[in-house]
Amino acid sequence: MALSRDEVKQLADLARTELSEEELTAAEHDLDKILGYVERLQKVDTAGVEPSAMPARTEWREDTALPCDEMAREIILTNFPARSGDLLKTPGVFEKPKGGKA
Amino acid sequence: MKPNQLTIAQARSKMDAGEITSEELTKACLEEIENLNPALNAFLESYADGALQAARLADERRGKGDRLGVLDGIPLALKDNLMDQGRKVTGGSRILENHVAAYDGTVVRKLKEQGAVILGRTNMDEFAMGSSTEFSAYGPTKNPHDLDRVPGGSSGGSAAATAADLCLGALGSDTGGSIRQPAAMCGVVGLKPSYGRVSRYGLMAMASSLDQIGPFAKTVEDAALVLQAIQGADPNDQTTSDEKSFVPSWRENLSGVRIGLPRQAWGQGMHAQVREAVMQAVKAMEKQGAKIVEVDLPYADEALAAYYVIMPCEVSANLARYDGMRYGLREKGLALFETYARSRAHGFGPEARRRILLGTYALSRGYYDAYYLQAKRVQTLIKRAYVQAFDQVDALLTPTAPNPAFRLGEKTEDPLAMYLEDVFTVGANVAGLPAVSVPCGTADKMPVGLHLIGRAFGEAPLLAVARVYEESMK
Repeated sequence: MALSRDEVKQLADLARTELSEEELTAAEHDLDKILGYVERLQKVDTAGVEPSAMPARTEWREDTALPCDEMAREIILTNFPARSGDLLKTPGVFEKPKGGKA
Repeated sequence: MKPNQLTIAQARSKMDAGEITSEELTKACLEEIENLNPALNAFLESYADGALQAARLADERRGKGDRLGVLDGIPLALKDNLMDQGRKVTGGSRILENHVAAYDGTVVRKLKEQGAVILGRTNMDEFAMGSSTEFSAYGPTKNPHDLDRVPGGSSGGSAAATAADLCLGALGSDTGGSIRQPAAMCGVVGLKPSYGRVSRYGLMAMASSLDQIGPFAKTVEDAALVLQAIQGADPNDQTTSDEKSFVPSWRENLSGVRIGLPRQAWGQGMHAQVREAVMQAVKAMEKQGAKIVEVDLPYADEALAAYYVIMPCEVSANLARYDGMRYGLREKGLALFETYARSRAHGFGPEARRRILLGTYALSRGYYDAYYLQAKRVQTLIKRAYVQAFDQVDALLTPTAPNPAFRLGEKTEDPLAMYLEDVFTVGANVAGLPAVSVPCGTADKMPVGLHLIGRAFGEAPLLAVARVYEESMK
């Protein structure tokens, strides 16, 4: 059940995170060990067993906009890492990557 | 006895009798925090001004006969993953180092409505992932009984604060044992309510189908008082239940109570003195009239494995929001993908990243059925196993943790060894059942916890049993 280094790199990409070479090695090792432990779930006979799920909700509230507490709004804006007036500034979605990843 | 050494019930009674003020209680806690917190690192921040102001208001109200709730004027601490509007809240992570809570979580709002005094925010493993508080980005918390040992985790700060009388009680969160295990290691009471009993609105989500907020306290009665204050259905949390409210209902003894010892759980490895301490507790309960029964609890072994699949999957989804965009750490001057990747790489610690990767794997195409779906099916079997066990008994009993508090650094290099600390506690989260840890003897001179699991929404009978045991040890 060994994960290859490339597989771990792929996971890091999917999870939108970066791992250094050392961290990759550590992750390979740790994930192998943990996956090795959880393998025992495969031996459980679950034929005909439904996956555990929350009961479905059937009542819904009206789809209307609710007012926002003024202090909450202020704090939310202050928490923006980059701001232009009341707008959140982000890197451009189509901007070319500087390091290599698209 | 110093004011901060009182229980909530004692403090309430003394305040009502005019023997003590909330200001005195709060000052005593703040002084003790000043004395001991530098060594313990239980609090990440304490709110001297805010707390004293709240205490004075509580005293004014009481002076006019206008007491709010049972917790009016009682100084409590909050785990640093609970939203308290206007206060910094970090989840124990670097990625939220300067984040400010925009709103009050439901439990925090309820505590404030009752008039409780919020003393500050307590240390935790990053995003509640850990069993020792060593994965906090802000340094570990020390166990008040031995500063070279861990307090347990992930709510180690709240546990240590309660044990060291830095507060009269505290809130924590529990996804796989994060209230109960540190309670056991620090020698205090820790309660995880039934899933759906307490609103998670305003709790930083770790694993949404498993998380519950609950109290740390010095006594079972105190834990009951806090649960009464924070419980309730909430339109802001669709997973809260409309079940009848919890109302304490104490017992004189354990006559007629059947206590089950799950065969599979007791077969696991545990420290010899832990086994001894808990068996002594079993004998004490027998003397109180309980019938002790060995029960079959199949899949106890698989519960930990199911947990370590389901939980990381939900974690990988819940932590996706920490992406450097709307809040939190943002690495500057990079294009979009690199901003995500570097912010998350720098903001998250090793355990958080480990679990995100694990969850990402188990949810990915080709592995989803074999891992996540299989774990969810096993969860159904585990829930059924508990229902069947509760046909024969009224409570299930094990140690809370297989070992007493271990030394700092002892398990940080071995994730699996750390995960195995949760072996007795995870079942209750996987099955959504209420569970409590009560102090019970020592092992290696460190506290040991007794773990009791009750029926869904059966906190009243569960705590009644726990309290009889607690009283019998006085």
